[in-house]
Amino acid sequence: MIPLRIQVEGATREDPFVVRLSGATADTTISGLWDALLVHSEDEKCAYQTRHGELRLSGIRSSDLAGDVLLVDPTRKVGHRLLRAESPHNAFLVTERCDQICTMCSQPPKRYHVDLFPLFQQAAVLAPKGMTIGITGGEPMLFKDQVFELLRRTLAARPDLSFHVLTNAQHFDETDVGILRELSNGKVLWGVPLYARESSLHDAIVRKPGAFDKLMNSLGVLARGGALIELRTVVLKTNAPALESLAEYVSVQLPFISKWAIMQLENIGFGRMNWDKLFFDNSECFAPIGAAIDVARGRGVNVALYNFPLCTVPESYRAFAAPSISDWKQRYLRECDGCVSRKDCGGFFTWYPEARGFSRLGLEQIEA
Amino acid sequence: MKIWPLRFRELGPSRVLFADDAGGYFVSDPAFLQRYVDSALSDTDRKFLYEHGHAFNRVGDLQHTSFTWRWTARQSAREKIAYVILVPTLRCNLTCTYCQVSRAAENAKGYDWDTDTLEAVLGFLDRLETDEIKVEFQGGEPLLRSDLLRRVRDHCRKRFSRSEFVVCTNLQRLGPDEIGFLDAVDTYTSTSLDGGLLHHERYRTRNRALTEEFFENLDTVVQRFGQRVSALPTVDIDDPPEIETLVTAFESYGFSSIYLRPVNYHGFARRRRAQRDDLSRWNAFYDEFIDFLIDRNFQTGHVMEEFYLSLCLRRMLQPGHDGHVDLRNPSLPASDYVLIDFDGRLYPSDEARMLSRIGQIDLSIGTAHDGIDQEAIAARVPSAFNNFDPDCIHCPYQPFCGTDPIDDVSRYRRVDIPRQDTWFCGRQLAVFDKAMSLIYSSDERVLYSLRKWAGLATWPNSLAPEHHDTSAHTS
Repeated sequence: MIPLRIQVEGATREDPFVVRLSGATADTTISGLWDALLVHSEDEKCAYQTRHGELRLSGIRSSDLAGDVLLVDPTRKVGHRLLRAESPHNAFLVTERCDQICTMCSQPPKRYHVDLFPLFQQAAVLAPKGMTIGITGGEPMLFKDQVFELLRRTLAARPDLSFHVLTNAQHFDETDVGILRELSNGKVLWGVPLYARESSLHDAIVRKPGAFDKLMNSLGVLARGGALIELRTVVLKTNAPALESLAEYVSVQLPFISKWAIMQLENIGFGRMNWDKLFFDNSECFAPIGAAIDVARGRGVNVALYNFPLCTVPESYRAFAAPSISDWKQRYLRECDGCVSRKDCGGFFTWYPEARGFSRLGLEQIEA
Repeated sequence: MKIWPLRFRELGPSRVLFADDAGGYFVSDPAFLQRYVDSALSDTDRKFLYEHGHAFNRVGDLQHTSFTWRWTARQSAREKIAYVILVPTLRCNLTCTYCQVSRAAENAKGYDWDTDTLEAVLGFLDRLETDEIKVEFQGGEPLLRSDLLRRVRDHCRKRFSRSEFVVCTNLQRLGPDEIGFLDAVDTYTSTSLDGGLLHHERYRTRNRALTEEFFENLDTVVQRFGQRVSALPTVDIDDPPEIETLVTAFESYGFSSIYLRPVNYHGFARRRRAQRDDLSRWNAFYDEFIDFLIDRNFQTGHVMEEFYLSLCLRRMLQPGHDGHVDLRNPSLPASDYVLIDFDGRLYPSDEARMLSRIGQIDLSIGTAHDGIDQEAIAARVPSAFNNFDPDCIHCPYQPFCGTDPIDDVSRYRRVDIPRQDTWFCGRQLAVFDKAMSLIYSSDERVLYSLRKWAGLATWPNSLAPEHHDTSAHTS
């Protein structure tokens, strides 16, 4: 697994701060206030000179950290790799609070909240060129003003960056159309979950009465603001039979979305707790998903399958399966050894339960 | 609840097609039509209309927003010019029977770009706002001037971040120089193939040696350039090609798409011919061709499409298919492409240059040297829209359709005659009726082709929405 937290010692201040790690000891091209210059590197120990003292990092090679943006927490002696320069999967977890309790949530909400927006703001500006930064939670838009401000200020300073904000879209109203239009130059993609077209079924899945109506209102606001929208639907035992009907709804009432991601369940958080009740084994029955894909594509909606191992998808739909699982929580199984399609496949979540997962797995193997 | 206006058209006994301004369609029955015009819709009617996007509750609700989005997505937006048709020479080494005004004799003088015109064309390309360009070389036979083609291509490769070239050639002369030009990954070959050998010879080469030369050259380019080669037939409805022979010829070269284009005679060529309405014969031929394809696809499993039908089907099912310049609305002149003729004049289309060439009317819109004449463009804008045409506003196919004022002028010398009396409308109605009958078909052979043409694994029922409320009371 890729280490996301690193042991850090030597900071001369107590409050958390952000630094960008340089790539080589001889690298003098960077000398900003926020840059950490590599002064020593040996195996899995390295040292960086910063304005908050000489930081000593252990457990990782400096070559793996070049260009990373680190959030240092001196009291815990920990550095969080907020932005990993070599990875396409980077996100700011801006809060763990949420106003929905979705049955499949991979990151169940917590009450406690620490406001780190100023540090995220600093980190974003230090991001490598062209990076897409995720904004996730919890529900980030519980702190709507701060998120809008983070997006607005970062993109003003760094127009090369993009954002992918995951939100339950319970909190947009007509007054947000202006700022959304200001941000509507293709740099912010709003990932919004919708589980069914029947409000009762959707509300039951997110366990919040009235959520569907609020969501529809918010989607209208996002559309009028010219926002890029990635609609996200996790397939569950509970909503799979209603998926084709949802596809019709999406094509008629949500034609303005940029993409519809149909997603497989992640076995963590509430998803693990409710796995047996929720997991829909598409390797046994793909029909409702296939029907939904055909309806959506027939109407010109752009569809993708996220978190579906290629071998669980019938051949005629495999082209829609994106390798979507983030590198730090991805693994391959024994069945994947020698698989012809491994390089195009997202594989499995680290916490995928082999005993309770897909009943059919594995494609043709490469000849030894 | 407010219902968006519905247009309707009888499709068959007890079957009525309805569609709204955003292109949302469904089939119902005369009883529903009666309830609709009487403002006596049943609860079931109203529920159907609301759930299928034909109604909303208040301005600004999701249903209202999505309808306005769907309506907007069906308007062809003006873009930067990024597609240029160039005619470096009008001279040609063939004398096809249906080619009337877009050629000059191979040894004629004064029908090629001179140095000034070439410089003006390159200057015009330099001044375009786009960073990506597609250039189509037309003629005459453009490969007679491969030297000019090279000058343009070299220039574009430097000037634009992405450039693509299509050479529309008769493939009669294919020496090392011509092959050398076509042999590049950014260069595509487009040629004419009218059917089998005999038919092709009767209309195009008129000489066995030339015919054989053409087919040999076609073999060569297909073998060497594969997918970078395409062909299309020109069909004279007075003597259409034998359908099976045409399809077999296309398939034998690996083409999976045929675009049936009716030839439109201009000027002298038209005057020579008896003036008679050949629309119904064209539509009958087209219908027979589609049915043949559907049967053949089902029997052989080798799928062939007719390009224009596929385009119309896509435009009915989905918004946003405005790439084909002959079928879109509004059809604004010089909106995203322009033609530069052998004399440096700019035209909004190939038809427009032909029409101007016979001297009936000047449809040019500027010159390569001076650029686009915005006043000439403005004068054409009103006829570019079908949204407000007094006939089109009653037609359920309006959102999928386009306008073709140039064709109207060429046939009727004016643009303001009743739509349903025009060739354009008559052809479109027939194609859309045909497409609708396929969409609503339950014939397994039809569904097989529809799935293949659309690239879908199944053909969902919801693409053919039906509404019948048998319990509703009708006065």
